[in-house]
Amino acid sequence: MASLKRSVESDPLAANISNKIYVRSTKSGKVQKIVREVYLRRDIPCSSKLCQECQHQMVIPKDALGKPIPFVLSDSPAGTKVFPQGHYLVPDTNAFLTAMDLFEQDSAFYDVIVLQIVLEELRNRSLPLYNRLISLTKSEDKRFYVFFNEFRLETHVPRLEGETVNDRNDRAVRKAVAWYGQHLARIKGKSVPAIVMLSNDRDNLKKAKQEGINACSLADYVKQLKDGEKLLDMIPETQDQDQIKEKRPGDNLYPEYFSMSKMMTGVKNNLLHQGIFNVSPYNYLEGSIRVPAFPKALLILGRENINRAVDGDLVVVEVLPKDQWKEPSTQVIEEDAITKNENPDAEESDDFVSEKERKALQEEVKRTHSKTTEGHAQPTARVVGVIKRNWRQYVGHIDQSSVSQSAQQGRKQDSVFVIPMDKKIPKIRLRTRQVSELLGKRILVTIDAWDRSSRHPSGHFVRSLGELETKAAETEALLLEYDVQYRPFPKTVLDCLPKEGHDWRVPQSLEDPGWKDRQDLRDLLICSIDPIGCQDIDDALHSRPLPNGNFEVGVHIADVSHFVKPGNAMDAEASIRGTTVYLVDKRIDMLPMLLGTDLCSLKPYVERYAFSVIWEMTPDADIVGSRFTKSVIKSREAFSYEQAQLRVDDSSQQDELTTSIRTLLALSKKLKQKRLDAGALSLSSPEVKVQMESETSDPIDVKTKVHLDTMSLVEEFMLLANTSVARRIYEAFPQTAILRRHGAPPKTNFDELANQLKVKRGLDLSVESSRALADSLDRCVDEKEPFFNTLVRIMATRCMMSAEYFCSGTQAYPEFRHYGLASEIYTHFTSPIRRYADLMAHRQLAAAIEYEAVHPSTRSRGKLEAVCKNINVRHRNAQLAGRASIAYYVGQALRGKATEEDGFVMKIFSNGFVVLVPRFGIESLIRLRDLAEVEPQAEFDAENYVLETKGSREVRLELFQKVRVRVTDQKDETTGKRGVKMELVKAY
Amino acid sequence: MASSQHVLLSPAELSYLHSSLSLTPPLRPDGRSPTQYRPLSAETGILPGTNGSARICFADGTEAIVGVKAEVEKTKRRWDDDTIFSENNHHQQQQQQQQQQQEGEEENEGRNNNDEEGGSSDWVELTVEIPGYRDDDSGTVFLGQMLSEALLADGGFVKRLRINRRFHWKLFLDILLISPPLSYPLPLLSLTTHLALLATRLPKLKSEGDEDPFFDDDWAAAPYLYARDPATKRVAERPPVTLLVMAVGGNIIFDPSKEELAVADVVLAVSVGDDAQGKGEDRMDVDGSNPGRNLKLLSIRTVDPPSRLTPPGVANAANSAYGHAQVVNTGANQKMPEARQTESEAVEGVWKPPRGGAKAVVMGALVQKVLVRGGVADEVLDALEGVDTS
Repeated sequence: MASLKRSVESDPLAANISNKIYVRSTKSGKVQKIVREVYLRRDIPCSSKLCQECQHQMVIPKDALGKPIPFVLSDSPAGTKVFPQGHYLVPDTNAFLTAMDLFEQDSAFYDVIVLQIVLEELRNRSLPLYNRLISLTKSEDKRFYVFFNEFRLETHVPRLEGETVNDRNDRAVRKAVAWYGQHLARIKGKSVPAIVMLSNDRDNLKKAKQEGINACSLADYVKQLKDGEKLLDMIPETQDQDQIKEKRPGDNLYPEYFSMSKMMTGVKNNLLHQGIFNVSPYNYLEGSIRVPAFPKALLILGRENINRAVDGDLVVVEVLPKDQWKEPSTQVIEEDAITKNENPDAEESDDFVSEKERKALQEEVKRTHSKTTEGHAQPTARVVGVIKRNWRQYVGHIDQSSVSQSAQQGRKQDSVFVIPMDKKIPKIRLRTRQVSELLGKRILVTIDAWDRSSRHPSGHFVRSLGELETKAAETEALLLEYDVQYRPFPKTVLDCLPKEGHDWRVPQSLEDPGWKDRQDLRDLLICSIDPIGCQDIDDALHSRPLPNGNFEVGVHIADVSHFVKPGNAMDAEASIRGTTVYLVDKRIDMLPMLLGTDLCSLKPYVERYAFSVIWEMTPDADIVGSRFTKSVIKSREAFSYEQAQLRVDDSSQQDELTTSIRTLLALSKKLKQKRLDAGALSLSSPEVKVQMESETSDPIDVKTKVHLDTMSLVEEFMLLANTSVARRIYEAFPQTAILRRHGAPPKTNFDELANQLKVKRGLDLSVESSRALADSLDRCVDEKEPFFNTLVRIMATRCMMSAEYFCSGTQAYPEFRHYGLASEIYTHFTSPIRRYADLMAHRQLAAAIEYEAVHPSTRSRGKLEAVCKNINVRHRNAQLAGRASIAYYVGQALRGKATEEDGFVMKIFSNGFVVLVPRFGIESLIRLRDLAEVEPQAEFDAENYVLETKGSREVRLELFQKVRVRVTDQKDETTGKRGVKMELVKAY
Repeated sequence: MASSQHVLLSPAELSYLHSSLSLTPPLRPDGRSPTQYRPLSAETGILPGTNGSARICFADGTEAIVGVKAEVEKTKRRWDDDTIFSENNHHQQQQQQQQQQQEGEEENEGRNNNDEEGGSSDWVELTVEIPGYRDDDSGTVFLGQMLSEALLADGGFVKRLRINRRFHWKLFLDILLISPPLSYPLPLLSLTTHLALLATRLPKLKSEGDEDPFFDDDWAAAPYLYARDPATKRVAERPPVTLLVMAVGGNIIFDPSKEELAVADVVLAVSVGDDAQGKGEDRMDVDGSNPGRNLKLLSIRTVDPPSRLTPPGVANAANSAYGHAQVVNTGANQKMPEARQTESEAVEGVWKPPRGGAKAVVMGALVQKVLVRGGVADEVLDALEGVDTS
């Protein structure tokens, strides 16, 4: 019987075929054995520019356009002390896993060979790191080459019997290194670069030595480099096998995580719950998690229950028994205050929950026990495992108190704590040699690990952003914290711009393809109204009376989709950025300057392409008809809100432009009234504006924004345009229209506020519909205190859901509703220069009016959903970054000054209260211990929201109360952080 | 499919065959000894996509392939049992047990066994394919039935498929005869199935207890369904084999060929298993000279030889259709063995199919012969052990 198996002897090509066998588990629970044949080849180039053999004798692989892919590795790579002849690096998987930051350095790590096996392993272990490595391989100047070692005959390594996968992969790496060495050694006449394997695995290094391969550990290699000392900090602590002490069970501070399969089983069967872990901004020991099984979030209290979860992680929790249910804390617990003066070196602290933390908890228990009503306790849970870490790079600064004296002088490695800017992130233990240099700087760090035996997570230093409180450092810190892409646009993006640059003009000839299907609206009296100094003018308006007594009103939006074609590099970049981010002194554009501030911007006196929405309206602002068209316009004037307001108010101005603005104003007021009648909410958030000194752009004053009629004029017509466009694109694309919805907030969100209003003012907040809410908010007035209404609105705004972009196919029509605007359907159309969603809406509208064909990317639901998800996140981050920027500048404007201002109590705790100062739009916590030298005794009545102090200072504070506070700035000596500090002067 | 096709032999040839097989020692047409199997060649692992596979060729040209595929399946539970982790409801279970104890001890034990360790016969799905026959052909179905019976008889096999209280492996055995059925294929299919099961590996379980199963993605780590002794690399316990045995006259003949079957008096399919559990105890009694296996009888099926399928000729004189009803009515001659002889007398040199059921004594002897320590079953298992199944 001849064997049916493929035999090596009989088949001449057998050596070129290998196979790979593994087990695949599918999501549905199927388990399959997969056998893949691997066809080995000899024509995969080494990609070294030195290698003549590969360049000439081989068919060079071509890219999609048929152009040969250029060779990557330099012909004169940099040398080090040990390899003066130059070298190529071959890192193993662990090197990338532990020190990706190193590879992203500009000063070193060029000419790197990324083996396929390493890349694949990295993808399995960490997708974010994989993506970072991929972007490195794409950058031309770093010269990273992916070598498909598994497919090249000479470097393919079949797995030996009894060999573990890891050992086999290590062997494959060594084999590839050896092959590269032999392959390049054949080059004649030139000095050949050394091939250096980078690995932290002792065993691998030892074997490499035996096989005569150049190999270094990361640390050894970095020491050979010029600025090695600094880079050394970026290598995380290596957990060498022999370094790990035999840990006694008692040494583990945290409970062990469940196995992945146990968690998955539990989650599937609803015994455990999965969700995103959130830390309370007021209490770092209190977290909450929203899980699909329950309408309200579960509480997670205390270090042990939080069990090494960090804000944003996807975790699995177990609900605790009822006797451990608690009330959410009414106390403010801040990490820096409580764990101050901890010694980062002393890891073997006997008690895991520190004395101070314990005390804080005791208070808690006392309070719970003193309660007569048990009904208030909320279900609590504990974290039993982490599905996915959401660790990123964190901005922070070194806690001065954690630095030992010796560390400030010497250059030996020392442990310090880094306090992240984000209060929700625990402090990070960092080992560094440059303590003295990094003190007082904003630094970027990453978390590497959080062991069961370590109280705090450990991380490593990435780079320094600069001195604390310098504008550059703080701005960059903000951008990094909110993940804003602020690097300059790459060349590929700039290549997509029109070649004419700033000289681009609307073509003169009407025969030009640019004029195809475009309406000529150049003779209309169009003007734009924007904030002062606005350069990216998205929108312009016009109105004119019609013979039948109605009005024609037009909204003209910059035609960005004409310049940004779907699918090109600029479009990809814009879809990633998602939105333009406005900081006080800086704007980070979504589109390159040329488009944003010139070619697309509807500047006055020049012709521009636009996308116009034109309505016919009755004098009562009822819409008779609407149409959409691409157009060419010429704006007559660019007004600021203030200018426009002055012009409208000045009755001597009777020219046509001014009259048309007056018409618009009159119509907008009617539109607004209609909207309010339909139940639109008028919400509020404290808005301020920082005034800068023009030369140095140092902040000099803070102003609250004044509301002008012209602002709501523009707003109303933009809302109208958005709604009209939303209807149109939904009609054309019922499955794929990009829309924006604002979900009705769950009733429970308002429970607290409604109760507060009821108890304190006897006011009823009805939340059945947006109309009811709007009406009841209108009733929330206090004759003596005009600001009370605004205060309630600010607090109500915080109970709302956030609006989101979505793809119409993913929701049922009733869910489209925009709660805040009380509109059935809504989208964003009017700011395509600064929002990607608007650009998508433009493309869809253009397709809907048959101006152009539908591009696949605006039609594929999967892609649109991904885009929506991204822009929702970006939008939120941009808002947060903007607010944080204002907060920082407000702090800077107050620097060195002390002012007394009126404020209002917004939130009350048993050991402090939060005051909002409308003048500056800031809120700050005042603790009881700040009230007087000796912390006064206090009695907290949680039911009535009253805090009464006795002893060293006697005050009675209650919710919504007006207070007088002294606002100063203060730099906390231990944390090096400047913040607004408020002191209570008196309670009204 | 019948146990054999029509053999194109004349009554005289059949008679000759019958008498030569009845000699002591019998003379078999191919010169084998009564207990000798046809030579075979075998290999495993021929289908890379399966969990285990094997192929056997007999020297006469018959050839079979068996592939084994495994799938994870949720175990059916009692309707009121919706617990996940047994430790969570331990207390509750105890209570239940107490209740059950009051109801009746026996029932409780049976139920518990089923709950904790037992398997179910529908965890194995076995299909047989014989070229030229429909898969619902009675012969094919019967073959499949015999093969699966051997596997399921003592419940030991399905226990191997248990993952935890909530999940089990479902095994699909595809048994294919790829040559035309030159002889009754039962022994061939059984041996190939045996080898395929020996070569079968199931992905390594990583999860613990009653969690949803979660497996190691490394195939090299996958354990064998029949575990190997780590020291000797030998299989500790082996899957069952089904042997085809026939009796002619006083002789017992193993692995009969097509022609031999045509003249068989009795044909038995005997499934034996390797009783590993009994092995340890029994070893003590047995002296070292007889290092055989401890065999366990799993099932017996009688297979109709072709002779049984042809109705015997009945003399007109004894045929009721010819007016001899009264003979039937008295029934006297039927009870008397002599009466048969009067019906038709054996004529020397002319083949006459045997009539009547197999004698219990013969059956007993057949089974005895199969199960004897160091006997044919042992030889077969030893021979199969020589096949590389890794």
